[in-house]
Amino acid sequence: MSDVNWRLAMRSLKRDLRAADVRALFIALVLAVAASTMIAFFLDRLERGLERQAGQMLGGDLVLEQRDPFSAELRERLESAGFVLSDQVDLVSMISRNGRFQPASLKAVDDVYPHYGVSYVDFGDGTEQIASGPPPGEAWADPRLVELVEIELGDRVQVGQTELVVTGIIEREADQSGGFGNFNPRLMLNTADVEATGLVQEGSRIEFEILAAGSPAALDQVQGLLAELRRDGVEVRDVRVDRPQLGNALQRAESYLGLAGLAAVLLAGVAVAMSTRRYVERHLDTAALLRCFGASQRQLVTIFTLQLMGLALVAAAIGALLGLMGQAILIWLLVSFLPMTLPPPGLMPLGLGVFTALAVLVGFAGPTLLRIKRVSALKVLRRELDPLPPSAWLVVGVASIVFGGLLWLYSGSLPLAVGLLLGGALLLGVLWMISALLLSGLLRLVHRFSGRSEWSQALRLGGRQLARRRQAGLGQLLAFSVTFFAMAMIVLVRGDLLSTWQDQLPENTPNYFAINIQPSERDPFDAAVSPRVETQSTLYPMVRGRVIAINDQSPTDAVPPDARGDNSLRRELNLTWQSELPEGNEVVAGEWFSAPQPGSEEGGESQGWMSAVDATQRATPVPISVEDGLAERLGLGIGDEMTFSVGSDEITTQITSLRSLNWDSFQPNFFVIFPPGVLEQFGHSYITAFHLPEAEQGLIRELITDFPGVSLLNVDAILGQVRDVLAQVTRAVELVLALVLLAGVSVLYAALTASLPVRAHESGLLRVFGAGSKMISRIQGAEYALLGFASGLMGAVLAELTTAALYLYLLDLTPRLHLGVWLLLPIGGALLIGVIGHVLSRGLRRQAPAASLGLLGEA
Amino acid sequence: MGSAPKAAGQPVLHADKLSKKVTSGERSLTILHDLSLSVAAGESVAILGKSGAGKSTLLGLLAGLDTPSDGELTLFGHALSRLDEDGRAALRAGRVGFVFQNFQLLPTLSALENVMLPLELSPRAGETQTAAQWLARVGLGERVEHLPKQLSGGEQQRVAVARAFVTDPELVFADEPTGNLDPDTGAQIIDLLFTLNREAGTTLILVTHDHALARRCDRCLRLDHGKLEAVPDNIVPTAASIDEGAQ
Repeated sequence: MSDVNWRLAMRSLKRDLRAADVRALFIALVLAVAASTMIAFFLDRLERGLERQAGQMLGGDLVLEQRDPFSAELRERLESAGFVLSDQVDLVSMISRNGRFQPASLKAVDDVYPHYGVSYVDFGDGTEQIASGPPPGEAWADPRLVELVEIELGDRVQVGQTELVVTGIIEREADQSGGFGNFNPRLMLNTADVEATGLVQEGSRIEFEILAAGSPAALDQVQGLLAELRRDGVEVRDVRVDRPQLGNALQRAESYLGLAGLAAVLLAGVAVAMSTRRYVERHLDTAALLRCFGASQRQLVTIFTLQLMGLALVAAAIGALLGLMGQAILIWLLVSFLPMTLPPPGLMPLGLGVFTALAVLVGFAGPTLLRIKRVSALKVLRRELDPLPPSAWLVVGVASIVFGGLLWLYSGSLPLAVGLLLGGALLLGVLWMISALLLSGLLRLVHRFSGRSEWSQALRLGGRQLARRRQAGLGQLLAFSVTFFAMAMIVLVRGDLLSTWQDQLPENTPNYFAINIQPSERDPFDAAVSPRVETQSTLYPMVRGRVIAINDQSPTDAVPPDARGDNSLRRELNLTWQSELPEGNEVVAGEWFSAPQPGSEEGGESQGWMSAVDATQRATPVPISVEDGLAERLGLGIGDEMTFSVGSDEITTQITSLRSLNWDSFQPNFFVIFPPGVLEQFGHSYITAFHLPEAEQGLIRELITDFPGVSLLNVDAILGQVRDVLAQVTRAVELVLALVLLAGVSVLYAALTASLPVRAHESGLLRVFGAGSKMISRIQGAEYALLGFASGLMGAVLAELTTAALYLYLLDLTPRLHLGVWLLLPIGGALLIGVIGHVLSRGLRRQAPAASLGLLGEA
Repeated sequence: MGSAPKAAGQPVLHADKLSKKVTSGERSLTILHDLSLSVAAGESVAILGKSGAGKSTLLGLLAGLDTPSDGELTLFGHALSRLDEDGRAALRAGRVGFVFQNFQLLPTLSALENVMLPLELSPRAGETQTAAQWLARVGLGERVEHLPKQLSGGEQQRVAVARAFVTDPELVFADEPTGNLDPDTGAQIIDLLFTLNREAGTTLILVTHDHALARRCDRCLRLDHGKLEAVPDNIVPTAASIDEGAQ
């Protein structure tokens, strides 16, 4: 029998493809699958792409750094895990030319360098992009060094005991490895020349680095080894953990894409539900006939289920194909920031797509389909004997559970899924009531239209038509509201997401850091810079200090094993003092230092906290504020004591507050802040950041001349890189947005298709009674427009509420009111539904009334 | 197709004191009251009655599409009261054909597909050929791929007749088969129906208000006020006598 059912189901499916509702159902399913697979494919590959991007900034997917050369055994282990290794040596040394001396930050790279990206180097004929380092015997200097030592291309500079020819001016390095740890100007050379310089000696400031490029699988494979290395004090940077600068923005983008995908699936689900309703209504006759011919209830359900499943499978296959193509387009849009060799898309998203199609079908169509089972054979004799539609609660309940499951699957967070679902269900209940009220109000309003004009008459009649089909009208109103809501939300969130990104890196984001400003230079420097820059941060005093004890234990004993190699314990930290909490910082635990005593002055040498106590001999520890991320890594909390060695002194401190701060802000940020009155007695310098407009670039030359000791660091390159990524992700977001809008239109199509026969019947009757095409067109237009207006209004309410909740709990943005939505949605809704409805029912108006009347229940 | 009635002599259908009441709110309405009927295999029976007399309700009961409030109905020797909805459906499968006043063709299916539908429920070899042959027999051999909306009313009813006979049933129910057709087309359909019925030796139960149509049956019954009574042959007016009476 099952073979019979299968054959019958497939035959009916083939025949059914002629029907509009099946086409709508099919389109909705294809869209659901296309949206979910496209986004799944894309996120999967984006994730890997972002790791590469971060890898480019780090210099590799994995970076190891220590003060001694790495063992051959370690290299072998990494290579056998599938990594390609590149060696680098970073050191600070004096370079000289013609008697001019300048400390420089030397970065020696090998022939493998760089793993990712290119460097921008000027060899005398303008800037070129080059994917290698200097060959042996040559060196590339950064513009600042060229300025300071007065180098011409082709000049020889003395580096330690050897001489190198400067052949290029390096404007942007392919990676940021060997980074900003010290702020001297850069000289890049080949590792082959390092030995000849004679600079690698006991006690010299030198770091050996291994930059390793490899797959996520390779990274997984060496996690144990990395933990071991961290315990041994090796600094380990894993691309997945140390994703610099881009973290927040991209995380939001991923949340957004996931959200957009879900919105598309939800919309497609609504379209499926509406098409299924029409599908079932149309098949009640078939079912009754089949009952007459002897089919059992079970057989009916099997036949129709098989038929819909067949439809779902074909839709899933096509949708998945479209999804694959869509993600290829996304990747193509992003090609300049993704590496060329992305691994091919996996099978997982495909499976996900098929699963999504089936789930959407079961969830949104299942309960409606059961109606077919209850059809009576007697219906063939008495048409009015339609089985009751399933209870709205059952339909909504099952759809909610399935959609909740999908939410869980896609977001990976059960509480989020349950929360959204419960909120959604509650909202739907409220929505139903408000919709009913809104519809009644609107219709009452329309009834009062006493105008004699054709349009007033059309509005009155259209309103009455809507009122006559109250339940159906309410259902459509809900579906359209949800559609407009989802569309609006995706547009709103996109807009706010983009503007937040732009806010995060506004035009005047500091592009220069000035370091090593001596106390005596502070005021003159400020006076020279302030009038010519657009923005400038506070001048922060900076003292270097090393953590020598935590809670009276050696730091490596006191912190968790994984943190033993942490940079903060291996190097001197930049300490500052402030009486006020710096801008962009937020105290997340404990309390900021109490207000300074009158007369104390930030950064001044005079009174401050504990002014009466000798800083080196105090009985009580000095309160400090620590960055919360550092505290978490080192396992520290409020009340823990840290002892710093500053100069030749030791200062014992106690953590009294933890701060969160935005590392993406391009502002000077500090792990540890002291209150005023403690560090002033030690040698210190000042740091500041400012945005120098393009037209004022001459200032740099003046500053280098007037303040030769001050290091100026240009971060335009990094800023540019971050902005590039944001711009490209924005394009991806826009493509996904288009998909959601398309899903929205599919709902409109499905809903209007479903209601076409009833409307055809009505217009047929109106024609019988003497209404002309124009009149009917106006009445239908008015009805659609009213429906669209009410839906738009509801959609606006929903969108405003939901975006506020999303901003607060998911995207971490500040909620705000969107006035445009309140205007645009009702008017746009009226226009959109009016126009689509008008176009779809054009054929009906051309039909003879007899045909329209016969259409009822048979289309 | 043999002309001998199938399982001749045995009653195909036997109704004993059937009643059908419907309640609407607190009011109860008896549509059929203590109605008994026996139909032998190969017999053709007409049930006459005015509009609203309950003819379609009776047909629904006899075909097992509906259940009586009281009484017992036996179809092909099976007491329908002992069968559930699915059991009654299984009993009909392949053994009962229907012709409806409003044709009941599925609009998205071609003529051929409509005729094939009952065959597909109990498949046998050559469904398509069988269905096509039946369409040819009703004179629509050239219209197999046409959709119902591309056919005239008479043509649609021909498709329905072909569909009723395609499974080679033992019993065919016809509910006002000419009700939606003009007299000429109706007469053609009736000719077709009786020809096929005779050729196939099928039992025919026909509900109509058309006396001319009723006269062509072996037996004629009138449904009036919920009761069924036999109409002697000479009392069924002929079309001619109606015309005379009108003058």
